[in-house]
Amino acid sequence: MAWDISRRVFLRGAGLAAVGVGFHPSSLLVRAAQAADAGSRVLVQVFLRGGCDGLNLCVPFGDPEYYDLRGGIAIGRGEVVNLDGHFGLHPALAPLKALYDEGRLALLPAVGNYSLSRSHFDAQDFMESGTPGDKSTGTGWLERGIAKVPGNAVTEAVAFSAQLPRSFLGPEPVLVAQALSSFDLRARNWRAEAETLLRAMYDARDDALGQVGRETFAAMNVLLRTPAIMAPPAGGAVYPNAAIGNGLRQAAQIIKAGIGTRAIFVNVSGSFDSHSNQLVAHNLEFPRIADALVAFARDLGPLLDDVALMVTTEFGRVAFVNGSAGTDHGSGHCMILMGGGVRGGRVHGSWPGLGRGQLYQDRDLAVTTDFRDVFAELARAQLGVDGSSLFPGYTPGPGPGIVS
Amino acid sequence: MPIEIGPRAAVHLLNRIAYGPRPGDVDRILRMGLDRYVQDQLDAPADPELDSRLRGLVTLDYPISQVLTLYNADQRSIGVILDELFSAKIIRAVHAQNQLQEVLVDFWFNHFSVFIQDGFVRYSAAAYEREAIRPHALGKFRDLLGATAGHPAMLYFLDNYLSRANVTVGGRLIRGLNENYGRELLELHTVGVDAGYTQDHVIDAARCFTGWGVDNLSTSGRFAYRPAVHDTGAKSVFGLNLPAGGGKDDAEKLLDYLASHPKTATFIARKLAQRFVSDDPPARVIDRAAEAFQSTGGDIREVMRAILGSADFWAEAFGSGKPKTPLEFVASALRGADAQVSNGRAVVAYLQNMGMPLYSCVPPTGYSNRGADWINPSSQLYRMNFALDVAAGAIAGVSADVRGMVRRMGGNSEDARSVATTISAQVFGKGLSRSTLDAASRVAPGGSVSVAARVTGLCLAGPEMQAR
Repeated sequence: MAWDISRRVFLRGAGLAAVGVGFHPSSLLVRAAQAADAGSRVLVQVFLRGGCDGLNLCVPFGDPEYYDLRGGIAIGRGEVVNLDGHFGLHPALAPLKALYDEGRLALLPAVGNYSLSRSHFDAQDFMESGTPGDKSTGTGWLERGIAKVPGNAVTEAVAFSAQLPRSFLGPEPVLVAQALSSFDLRARNWRAEAETLLRAMYDARDDALGQVGRETFAAMNVLLRTPAIMAPPAGGAVYPNAAIGNGLRQAAQIIKAGIGTRAIFVNVSGSFDSHSNQLVAHNLEFPRIADALVAFARDLGPLLDDVALMVTTEFGRVAFVNGSAGTDHGSGHCMILMGGGVRGGRVHGSWPGLGRGQLYQDRDLAVTTDFRDVFAELARAQLGVDGSSLFPGYTPGPGPGIVS
Repeated sequence: MPIEIGPRAAVHLLNRIAYGPRPGDVDRILRMGLDRYVQDQLDAPADPELDSRLRGLVTLDYPISQVLTLYNADQRSIGVILDELFSAKIIRAVHAQNQLQEVLVDFWFNHFSVFIQDGFVRYSAAAYEREAIRPHALGKFRDLLGATAGHPAMLYFLDNYLSRANVTVGGRLIRGLNENYGRELLELHTVGVDAGYTQDHVIDAARCFTGWGVDNLSTSGRFAYRPAVHDTGAKSVFGLNLPAGGGKDDAEKLLDYLASHPKTATFIARKLAQRFVSDDPPARVIDRAAEAFQSTGGDIREVMRAILGSADFWAEAFGSGKPKTPLEFVASALRGADAQVSNGRAVVAYLQNMGMPLYSCVPPTGYSNRGADWINPSSQLYRMNFALDVAAGAIAGVSADVRGMVRRMGGNSEDARSVATTISAQVFGKGLSRSTLDAASRVAPGGSVSVAARVTGLCLAGPEMQAR
């Protein structure tokens, strides 16, 4: 991958300027050393809650079985955005084609794990803990990844979400925010007193509540002292006003501000659980995905070289249409991958087929790539983390070759 | 500091079966006796004072058909109707005498969750809570389960209104089964995801409910059973075998079976214990509650009695507490500040920012019942700001006279330490830590925001208030 030394140094410098306010020179030097070791690449995960159908996202229009199985909700050969003669994008994702052609975007169908189950909650939990079938794992896979990255600033790991995502569960500090703007105490005429006294209350405790209080004030300080975070989108980028748009807009803000963020999680809930009238649901959701990814790439400009982004969901959906023009819970899903280091312009993985005997349990798209292999590959490339220890009880394979 | 057991126990009870104490509550329930308070809460007698507070919210009792008629005449009407529903939720949580009932209505709505922004649910969510949830919150689980299963809001939300026996033309499926409700009935509503059922059981559960639907989504919105689309084949669901030839009663038999299944007893017992005892409740209290569930035919009142009578419940009074959800935090802060809520609209916006918009959990799973899941820096900031705003009287539709309250409770409203001590006694059972008390007592005299408002705000924004 193109490893731009000058950008790396620039980012590190900007990050130090931001974080450094209020720190002693000695800690500045420690941080400089850590940043030099860790690099400045960023891993972004967008999680679509609800089980997004992969077969109508990256349409296998070249597979003769697809049209029989999908019936009235199939995407016609004339409608798909042809990628390689076999797969095509859903027409609402057409804006992604340029990124694909530029080699910065790729698709990975038939990814997942059968132990994820067809339960939304379990599948999300298993995927985020990285231990399908084991509910006892106390940490999230991204938390384990970020724990191996030097430093423990609260802005190293950021989640745009209403709640701490299971992926980040664990002792590492995480900034969870719905909105970066107005991240401040609202005590008009007595703000300084309120902050001093509240800090004293939370500093006195060494439990989880004390920790969250300290993280809150740490985040407040970084955000308030880094006005660059509030910079508007660059390059004429326009984000859709939806969870994925607002999440990626703020992800870009925090990446551009260069405050040492290494892992970003964007939580997206929407109409992905398409048990009925799937075409309508996708016509609502897919343009948001496409517009948000295009805006993110445009906004970051050359900084995208240091970013790898994956769009994931907990499971795919049944290969055949159900009785109400929708699809029920299935297995293999499709990831969208984007970034400077991503080997784009291709559909990765191996296609299991949709014929009789090829479907999992006679109903679902089969899984040919374990999601942990992808996670490990991206963690290695973006966080410099050895993937072999990321997933208890599982040693990831070489990976599907997503990153160069 | 030595712990005074009485106030601590009273506050614990109020934090668990109510949305926290209002000033004066601790003394009141200690005088009447905690046993009698629990019995009162289980009895849930009439509450005319609450009724009068809700009287202005005229749309609360509208049947679905009336909501649809209003909406069809003027689409803006639904905004008013939802505002009233949201406002009522806050007013009830803050002012209802029957606090346990409100806590359980919230618990069961969330257990049988529907997402209010999903199409027809907008017009039927108020009716769903009023007709399917509220009457059974302390009743029999089977009645609650049946009321949700047959309610138009649930039939719509989990797509069952579309589900029917498969129809194929030339080998291609034209219309047919929808698995959504069948799966969630097993996974979320009854036996739980780890019970051991299979994909085939999910399909057959869905087949039992074919034909259960809604007569018309845009005018009347009533339950309708359509025998012509029922799948009359034999079914097998997790040990229940139904012969071919059944009709609407296939589903009733399945609900009977699931409601009395031991896995359901344990699943519900665990979830209730998680709400009332701790995020990871001890097996002992789960077993005790499950046993009560089974021996009483799923009587929720008796399950609650079993939990509240357990040693594990009372041991929590002296533990570190269970982190509050945003709703629990907001309601308890309003109660702690002795606030009067006339309109909940502004409060609803805070809940949205804390990640828990009312009636708006998108997945059918419902909001997390684990307090720890709700603790994060963003939510924390909104919690602190909410507490400061409540005490300062800065929230529209909410009034709080904390100076008057402190004086009524025997404190000196101009002395920071006296205010902090009063709040500690009234809201925390004298449980505020030395560090919190000391910090709050350092509030400077004078200033444009009163000492009482600042100290109260800080105590309600502090760490002890985040858990219950």
